[in-house]
Order: sequence, then C-alpha cells, then structure tokens
Amino acid sequence: MTTFLALSLTGLVVGCIYALTACGLVVTYTTSGVFNFAHGAIGMVAAFTYWQLSVAWGWPAPLAFLTVLLVLAPLLGAVVERVLVRPLYGAPIGVTLVATLGLLVTLLGVGFLAWPPDTTRVLPKFFEGHTITVFSLVIDYNQLLVIVTSIAVAVGLRVFFSGTRLGIAMRAVVDDPELAALAGTKPERVSQLSWALGAGLAALAGVLLAPLQTLNVTDLTLLVINGYAAAMAGRLRNLPATVAGALVIGISSSLVLGYAGPQVVNYVRPAIPMILLFVAVLFLKQERLRAGSLAGLRMPRTAGLRQSVGVGLGFVVVAGLVSGQLSPASLAIGGQGMVLAFIMLSLVLLSGYGGQVSLCQLTFAGLGAYAMGKSGGGALGLLAAIALPAAAGALVALTVVRLRGLFLALATLAFAQAMDQIFFNHALGYGGTLEIPRPRLPLVDTGDDRAYFVLLAVVFALGAIGLLTLRRRAFGRRLIALNDSPAASATMGVSPVMTRLLVFTLASAVAGLGGALLGGLHGSVSPNDFLLLNSCVLLLLATLGGLYTPTGAFLAAMSYAFFPELQKLVPELGQVQFLLTGLGVLALGRNRYGIGGQIADAGERLRSLRVHQVDRVEVARAAG
Amino acid sequence: MLRVEDVEVRFGGVQALKGVSLEVPDAALVGLIGPNGAGKTTLFNVITGLEKPNRGSVRLGAGDTWVDVTSLPPHQRARRGLGRTFQRIEVFSSLTVHENVLAAAEARRSWSRDDASPAQTASEMLERVGLRHLEHERVDMLSTGLLRLVEVARALASRPRLLLLDEPGSGLDSTESEALGDLLVELVQDGRSILLVEHDVELVMRVCHEIHVLDFGQVIAHGTPDEVQRDPAVQAAYLGTSAA
Ligand SMILES: Nc1ncnc2c1ncn2[C@@H]1O[C@H](COP(=O)(O)OP(=O)(O)OP(=O)(O)O)[C@@H](O)[C@H]1O
Ligand SMILES: [Mg+2]
Repeated sequence: MTTFLALSLTGLVVGCIYALTACGLVVTYTTSGVFNFAHGAIGMVAAFTYWQLSVAWGWPAPLAFLTVLLVLAPLLGAVVERVLVRPLYGAPIGVTLVATLGLLVTLLGVGFLAWPPDTTRVLPKFFEGHTITVFSLVIDYNQLLVIVTSIAVAVGLRVFFSGTRLGIAMRAVVDDPELAALAGTKPERVSQLSWALGAGLAALAGVLLAPLQTLNVTDLTLLVINGYAAAMAGRLRNLPATVAGALVIGISSSLVLGYAGPQVVNYVRPAIPMILLFVAVLFLKQERLRAGSLAGLRMPRTAGLRQSVGVGLGFVVVAGLVSGQLSPASLAIGGQGMVLAFIMLSLVLLSGYGGQVSLCQLTFAGLGAYAMGKSGGGALGLLAAIALPAAAGALVALTVVRLRGLFLALATLAFAQAMDQIFFNHALGYGGTLEIPRPRLPLVDTGDDRAYFVLLAVVFALGAIGLLTLRRRAFGRRLIALNDSPAASATMGVSPVMTRLLVFTLASAVAGLGGALLGGLHGSVSPNDFLLLNSCVLLLLATLGGLYTPTGAFLAAMSYAFFPELQKLVPELGQVQFLLTGLGVLALGRNRYGIGGQIADAGERLRSLRVHQVDRVEVARAAG
Repeated sequence: MLRVEDVEVRFGGVQALKGVSLEVPDAALVGLIGPNGAGKTTLFNVITGLEKPNRGSVRLGAGDTWVDVTSLPPHQRARRGLGRTFQRIEVFSSLTVHENVLAAAEARRSWSRDDASPAQTASEMLERVGLRHLEHERVDMLSTGLLRLVEVARALASRPRLLLLDEPGSGLDSTESEALGDLLVELVQDGRSILLVEHDVELVMRVCHEIHVLDFGQVIAHGTPDEVQRDPAVQAAYLGTSAA
C-alpha cells in the first residue's frame, strides 16, 4: 500500500508538471491559433537559465525563480509572437508548424551552445531535505511545492478566463478575431499576451521538472511531448480535461515503472504518453470538410516532361563528373545529401502536393533500412525495403487518415516517438548497428563508392522526374484539388480517404527505399539515424527549400549534408547554423514556397522578360 | 430526382432548418429563395452530405427506385449524380481554370464507366459557360463572378443529373446573368434537374418552373413563380416583418 501511495505521489508530481506545460500549450493554441512545438524548448531554456542564475552565478533561488518565470520567459514569449507568429497569421498549418519547429531547433542550438553537454549540471531540489509525513507516506517539500503551485495555477487560470475582462477577451478572440476586433479588443495584443503566458507556464514546468532529473537539453525539450498528449485529452481547448489527462499520464507511467518487470518498462513506459496521444487524436470528432485556407497562393510552375528529363540527365552527368573530383569522405557526404533529397521527395509529394504534414518520414526510412538489413539485400531486400514501410504507412494512414493539419502532425509525431522508443532501440540494437548491404545491380559495381554515388544521383533524378510526371497527371491534380478544397473535391466524387491513404502509402514507400539506400551508403544504421527530431529537421529543411519542387529538396538536403563540413573549415559557422535556420523560418513568412519557390519565380520572371522582348520586337516590326 | 423529408439542423442554439421537405422532379428547374440566414446553404450542405441533419432524410432516384443517401459521405452522393457550386467560392486556387474543370472530369472518369476524354469534356464545359478564352488563366486572376462560372463548369464536368447552384449569379452584370439564365434553361432541356438558390429574384422568376421559399429554416411557400409572388407570407418575409 505504501509503495502504491509513494508511486502515485511521484506520478502525481510529474503529472502536475505535465499539466502546467499542457495548460500553457492550450492557452497559446486557443488564443493565437498556433500550436507551439517549441513549448518544451522554452521550458528547457528556462530551466537552464534558472540553473545559470541560481547555481552558476549564485543568485538567491527565489530571486532567480521569479526573474525567470515573471520576466525572462514572458518576454521571450512576447518577442516570439511578435517576430515569428504574427507574420504568419492565417497561414496554412504546414507553415506555422514548421515555424515553431524552427524555433525548437533554434532554441536547441542555443541550449547546446550556452550549456555544452560536456559538464553535468544538477539543480538542487527546492527546500532540499525538508519532508513531512502523512500516514507513513513521506512527502518532500519539493513535491509539495509542485502540487501547491499547480493547484494555484489551475485556480488562477480558471479565474482569469471566466472572471476577468482580459481573460474573456482572450476567449472571444479565439471564437472570432474580427468580431473581437470590432468590440475593441486588439487581437494581436491578446495573442501576444497568450504567448507570454504560455511561455511563463512552459518555464514554470521546466524549472519544476529539472530538479527531478539531470539537466539535459534534448530530454527536457522532448519530455514536454507528454504535455502534448495531455493537451490532446482536452482536445486542445478544454483546460480541466487537459489537467486530468496530464495526471493520468503521470500516475500511470509511474505505476508501470514501479510494478512492471524491466522488460515491460523498457518497451512500454516510454511509449505510454505516445500511445495516449495517439488514442486521444483518434477519438477526435471527425473534422467537417472545410474550405481551403488561403486563396491565391502561387504554386511554382511544373516543368514539362521534356524539360525535367533534360535537367535530370544533365544532373546525372554533372554528378558523374563531380564524383571524379571528390574525396572518399566528400563522396559519402554528397551521397548522404543525395539520399536525403530523395527522402525529401516523399515530403514534396505528401506535404507539398497533398498538404499532409508528416513528422515521421525518417521512421519509414528506418523501416526500409531495417527490412533491407534483415532480408540480406538483393532484389528481394529492395522489395522488402519498399513493401514494409508501405504497409506500415498504409496502416498508420488507415488510423490517422481522418485527421488533417495539426492533428495529423501530432499523430505522426506520436508514431515516430513511439517507434524510436519501442522499435528502433531494440531492432537496431542499443546504440549498436544493423548492417545494411547495398543493392546489387548488373553492369554496375555498387560496392565502389563512386559508382554508388552516381547510382544515388540517378535514383534521385528518376524520383524527381517521376514526381513531376505525377504532378502533371490526373493523380497530381486530384491531390492538389483535395488540398485546395476538400469540400469541392468530395462533391465531384473524389474520396478524400482513399486519396490520402494512397499518397501516404506511396510517400512511405519512397522514404523506405531512401532509408535502405542510406543504410547501404554507410554500410550500417543505428537508432540515432531515424530519431523524431531528425524527422522534424527534415521537414523543416524541406519546407525551407520549398516543399513544392525537387530543386528545393535537393538544395535543402545538400546544404544539410555539407554544413558540418563547412563548419570544420570555419568553426564559427556552428554558431550561425541555428541562427540561419531561424532566419530561414522568418523568411517563410514572406515566401511560403521557400528557396525552390524563389528560384521558380525568378525563372518565370526571366521567361516573361524574354516573351516581352519578343513582343516588343514584333510590335516594332508591325509599326515599321 | 430528389426528395428531402422533414430535415432539421441545429447549430447549438440556432435552429437553421426545421422540418424542411421538398422535392425536385426530373428535368425541372426549381428555385429556392429566402432572406439572408434562412437556411438555404445549410440545406444544400445537408443534401450534398457536408452537414449531418439532426433529423430527416435525403433520397435520390426516379420512378419507383429511390435510394436513401442520408448516411452516405459526400463523394458517394456525387457519384450518384449530385453536383453543386458553392456560395463561398471553392475553386482550386493552385490550378488553372482549365485544370479546375479537368480535375472534375478526371475524377468522373475514375469512378464511372464513361471514358470520354477529360480534356475534351473540360473544354466543352468551359465553352458552355463562356470561359473558353480564359482557360489558361490562373484562377486568382478572375473576378468572383467569373469564378462562380468556373464552379458551374466544374460541376457540369462530373455530368450530374441534379445540379445545386448556390447563388451563381451574384457578381455577374446584367448581360452575364441573362446568359446564365439561358444556360440554365438549356441545361434543364438536356434532361438535368437544377435546384437554384439565387438572390436575383428576377432571374429566378424568369427561369424556374417552381419555387420554394425558405424563411427562418422553414418552407413558408411553394408553387409556380406567379403563385409565390402573390403569396402574402412571402411578401411579409421579404419586407422583413414576421412571417408567422
Ligand atoms: N456552421 C455553422 N455553425 C453555426 N451556425 C451556422 C453554421 N452555418 C450556418 N449557420 C447559421 O444557420 C443559419 C442559416 O444559415 P445559411 O447559411 O444556411 O443561410 P442562407 O439562407 O444560405 O443565407 P444567405 O442568403 O446569407 O446565404 C444562419 O443563422 C447561420 O448563422
Ligand atoms: Mg447561403
């Protein structure tokens, strides 16, 4: 009984912290309409800042605590709203999602930079050493603080939203920004306030959580994913349900950890929040078919067949020539860029054309590599590397296909995280590696690194040509139409479910093939290659490169692959990489088609310039 | 062609439709008019499956064979011959005018046995609504009035037997709307049925065979254009006094 109570208490404390973070998420989401994937990262930065102030600089703990919670965190939230969120008002979910992912990456970078992981940092518990005993249950003051704070926050939020003018104004903004504006509320002010409040709650959660474990940049950032699950329990709106969800997650995880055997713990516990998130997402009411988001988005022109084949051929020839000049190390890096670009094509198809945001593309890549490795390579291996991810993709799609936008993104996130924890860690060995053979081909010795590099270039070129061909044909139009207006598509007889299922499966297969080729490039894979965070970065980069063109995918993948090399030459670049990412995300507010879109735009301008010249010549001739 | 029976829709406290029943015969042009917020668009959404009614049924068919489609999703109703346009424009904004219509023709080919060339169908439908010369334009270059015509052409490309048009004439000038009226008459002569929601009462009176009048979610009058025009309840509703 005592064990049970003690475990429940530990779980309750953690659940309270999840509740705090989840409430912050809900507040910003409902008020500003943007789901903040960087919520955990804000908590992480806050926890480290608190460590910096209180431990490193020796400020008194209460002063440091209040400075972080009441000054620094809200300020950060307000600035983020002004700089990042506001320009994206009304943008499609894919764009806002990537923007906050960009913030996540930037803050992670700041975290690693400011507090390098080579030293261990420990935050003392609040009121270390003080405990009280209730019916043989020992409760320390730190736990008490967490519980009391959470109750205070819950009551405070309740009073704020139903009892104060500002709180009621915030709710009104959610329901109808234009109407609220007419009534004299400034939606931007209210949205900014909600970001400040959300960041404050994230910080509070981070600071309270940090003393319960060692300070670690990635862990703190991702632990907040548990908060996502709780927020989903309240369907991102309902605060009491959110709190209840958080407590369930906290307590059930703690009980599983305490009672179940180590096997179960290893497999199941890390996945509990994910499973709950997945279930919560599935029980969401089916969204009504709604109008497309923004009219008048200019998608880049699609190249014709002849043009794309021509460019593809040229691309392979150049890759062949360049490969002769590359060192073995550069060949490997270039090859990596090539494969990543190929995997990104699956994102162009799925997210660019189809408007479905996926945070688990590398999970399918990992499944492809796994199938290739286990089946021993060869033609059968390649087939398995396509079929296994395709089947998994179809299965995932079947369960999530009703979801769109943010909820789909969250479901794929849950899937990716669960696969990281349950499957890859075991299937690919703890930190160990699974050997992946290269495909064997007639006439080509794929064992030769240069030949393999050229093969990868060919695969990418074929993929790009195939993608563009698909875009020009009926299926491509159907995808774009479905993305632009689900309602109109359905009323012309298109089954949204079938179409999304098809494209999700196809994209999974492409990613899987890419994963097998990636494994072949390095000879082996490890669980680290397919982490959720990497999938996020992949989506981020693909979007920055322009989710609508193979060119954009190629440029994004190559810069990703080669950046670490550049950094070796110019070490200062390491500091800039995250800044660059941040700036890139800001630029998204201006051109939603990314770099690829800019290039396509420039090409179009050039072409119309030429046409105009021709016109002028003809006019001159007619006049003369 | 279409039978709507006793349909009721509530949005929270708002009762958008209460006990609405109406019928659209084969090859008929039926008007549906009513003041703003009367529930016309909501009824279209119920018929096409975009909105679930709290009560009532929607059936499609002819003669003795009627199919209850109330629980079918929108795309399956479309495949049973239902087409529509939207009051709040729903064109595919990343596609050209031609591609908008082409997409519908291609969709039709994927679920019907009709193997007419989609490209040809698309051009033909654009010709019919008089937009052939704009087919290579991006849709964001067109006025709302013309976008409504794109929607009409797109709906026609799936060759529906019953076409629901939600204010196709708003945004058109008087010659354009006259041409639209002629087109509607032609379409019905070809054997299609049309249910027309339109604020341009003159147009409705000119082309419709019969008219239903909706007010506060209820059908308050039904009859030929002449009958409806003389109806005191209709006059009251349009003058803004209570219809009761
Ligand atoms: N999704 C919705 N949620 C809540 N209320 C709704 C919704 N859709 C419509 N309504 C309400 O239902 C009623 C009927 O609306 P509807 O759009 O069907 O009217 P309408 O006759 O088409 O009007 P209009 O001539 O302005 O197009 C209105 O009071 C409207 O505010
Ligand atoms: Mg309407």
